[in-house]
Amino acid sequence: MHPLLLANHLIMLAGGIDGDKRPLSGSEKWGVTLVGLGVVIAALAILVVVIMLFGKIFDQINKSQRPKSPPPAKPKPKPASTPAKPSAPVKAKPAPTVPVPDSSNSENEEEVIAVISAVVAMMSEQDGKTYRIKSVAKSRNTSLSNRSAWAMDGRRQNVKPF
Amino acid sequence: MLQILQDILGGLWETSGLAGLAADPMKLLMMCVSFLFMYLAIVRKFEPLLLLPIAFGMFLSNLPAVLPEDMIFHAEYWNEQQSVDWLWKVLHDGGLLDKLYLGVKLQIYPCLIFLGIGTMTDFGPLIANPKSFLLGAAAQGGIFFTFLAAGYMGMSAAECGSIAIIGGADGPTSIYVSSKLLDGANSNLNTGTIALAAYTYMALVPVIQPPIMRFLTTEEERKIKMPQLRTPSKTEKIVFPVVVTLIVALLVPSAAALVGMLMFGNILKESGVAGRLVDTAQNALMNIVTIFLGVSVGATCTASNVANWDFIKVLILGVIAFSLGTACGLLLAKFMNWLSGGKINPLIGSAGVSAVPMAARISQQEGAKADPTNFLLMHAMGPNVAGVIGSAVAAGVLLSVINY
Repeated sequence: MHPLLLANHLIMLAGGIDGDKRPLSGSEKWGVTLVGLGVVIAALAILVVVIMLFGKIFDQINKSQRPKSPPPAKPKPKPASTPAKPSAPVKAKPAPTVPVPDSSNSENEEEVIAVISAVVAMMSEQDGKTYRIKSVAKSRNTSLSNRSAWAMDGRRQNVKPF
Repeated sequence: MLQILQDILGGLWETSGLAGLAADPMKLLMMCVSFLFMYLAIVRKFEPLLLLPIAFGMFLSNLPAVLPEDMIFHAEYWNEQQSVDWLWKVLHDGGLLDKLYLGVKLQIYPCLIFLGIGTMTDFGPLIANPKSFLLGAAAQGGIFFTFLAAGYMGMSAAECGSIAIIGGADGPTSIYVSSKLLDGANSNLNTGTIALAAYTYMALVPVIQPPIMRFLTTEEERKIKMPQLRTPSKTEKIVFPVVVTLIVALLVPSAAALVGMLMFGNILKESGVAGRLVDTAQNALMNIVTIFLGVSVGATCTASNVANWDFIKVLILGVIAFSLGTACGLLLAKFMNWLSGGKINPLIGSAGVSAVPMAARISQQEGAKADPTNFLLMHAMGPNVAGVIGSAVAAGVLLSVINY
C-alpha cells in the first residue's frame, strides 16, 4: 500500500469507522492495526516513564529521610534513671518495660538492647513511622509482687477472656 | 362436552414444553451440551465456579416453551436494534435471565468484576519493574493482528473488534467491548458467544501457551534467573492507581471506566483503611457478579447462536488472537533480553496476556521445568498485571476508532 494513501486513511480514522455490516477496506484494516498497536504501546511507554520517575522520586525521599533518624541497631542508652520512651506513641496499650540486667553483665545488656532495637525497627517498617530509642532503663515498678513485666503481661492475657 | 375436553387438552399440549421440543428439536441437543458442561464442572472440576453457572444458564434458556411469556430467556430480543423502547420491552416482557443479561449488555458486570480484580491485585512487581508495562503492551499485538485477520475474512469493523479483543485474554474486557460494538442489527454475532469463546480460551491457557513458549525460546533462555525485585513503599502503591487512571483517561478516555474501576479496587486495598469494602468487593460482590454473569452468558448459548458458521469463525480467530498475543509478548521479552545482555528471562513475556494469574503461573512452571531452582512467578506477575491495563487500553482504542 502506498504510504500516502495509508496516511490519508489514518487521518480519516480520527472520524471513526462505522461498525455496520460493511466489510473493511484494506487501508482501514491496516490503519486500525497500526494505530491501535501504536497507541497501546505509546500509552504504556508513558506509564513506564512516569512510574520510573515516581520510583526515583520516592527513593530520593526515602534516602533523605533515613539520615534524620539514627539506625535503630546502635542506640545510646542513657544512665538508668529515665524510663524507656519512644519519641512517638506506638500503641494505645503501652508495651511492658523490659528490665535490663546488671551493668556488670554488659554482654547481656547489649543483647537485650539489640532485641529492643530490632522490635522497634520492625514496628517502624510496619506502620511507616520513625521511632527513636532515647534510653533503655531498668524498671522501678516493683509494686506487683516483683514479677517481671513480661510475666505480668502474660498473666493479663491469660485472664483477659474471663 | 367431549369437544370441550378435546379443545382443553389440545390447548394444553400446544402450550406445553413437549410441543416446543417437537417444534425445535435443536433445544434437546443444546440441553445435552449443557449436561456435558455440568459433568465437566462437577465431576472433572473444570473451572466449576464459572462453568457450572454457564452450563445451568444454557440449560435454562434451552428449556422448551411455546408461549413467549413462559420463556426464561428470549434470544430474539438481543438480535434487535437497541433503543429505549427495546429496553422497556426487555424489562416488561423479558424473562429473569433477560433481565440479568442487561448487566452484561449495559457493561455493568465487567466493570464490577474489574473492581473485584483490583482489590485482589498486587501491582508491586509492576511498580518495582515498570519495564514490564512494555511486555503487557506487546502482548496486545494479538488483538490488533487478529483484527487484521478478521478484516481479511470479510467481517465488519464491529465484528473484527469484538473477536480481536479475545486476544487480550480478559473475559470482562471482551464482554465490555463486544456489548458496546455488537447491537444485533450490525452483526450475526452476539456478546454471549464472544464471552463464551473468551472464557473457553482463558481456561485453556495451560494448554495453548506452553507449546508456543517452548517453540519461541531456547533451553538456555528458559534457565535465565532474574534478580530479586525491590519492595515498593506503601506510598508508591497508593499513588500508582491514581497516576495510572489519570494517564489512561487522558490518553484513551474510552478505557477510563474499566481502568478506573480496576484502580478504584486497588486503592481500596492499598490504602489499608477500607478493609470491609475490600472484603465485600473481593468476596461477596465478585461472587454475586460471577453468578449473574455466568448464568446469563450461558443463557445466550441457544442453538441459533452457537450452531452456526459465525461461532466457528469466532473460535478459530479467538485461538489465533490468543496465540499471537502470547507470541508477541515472548518476542519482545527476547528482544529485551538481548538488549539487557541476557538478564531477562523471555518466558515472562507470555504473561503479558492478561489471564491473571494463570499466565504468570505458566511462566513459572515452564521456567521451573528448565531449572527447578528458577523462580519467575513475581517477575511474571509484572507483565501479567500490565496486560490487564494493556487490554483495557486496547479496548478503549477499539471503542474510540469504531463508531457504535
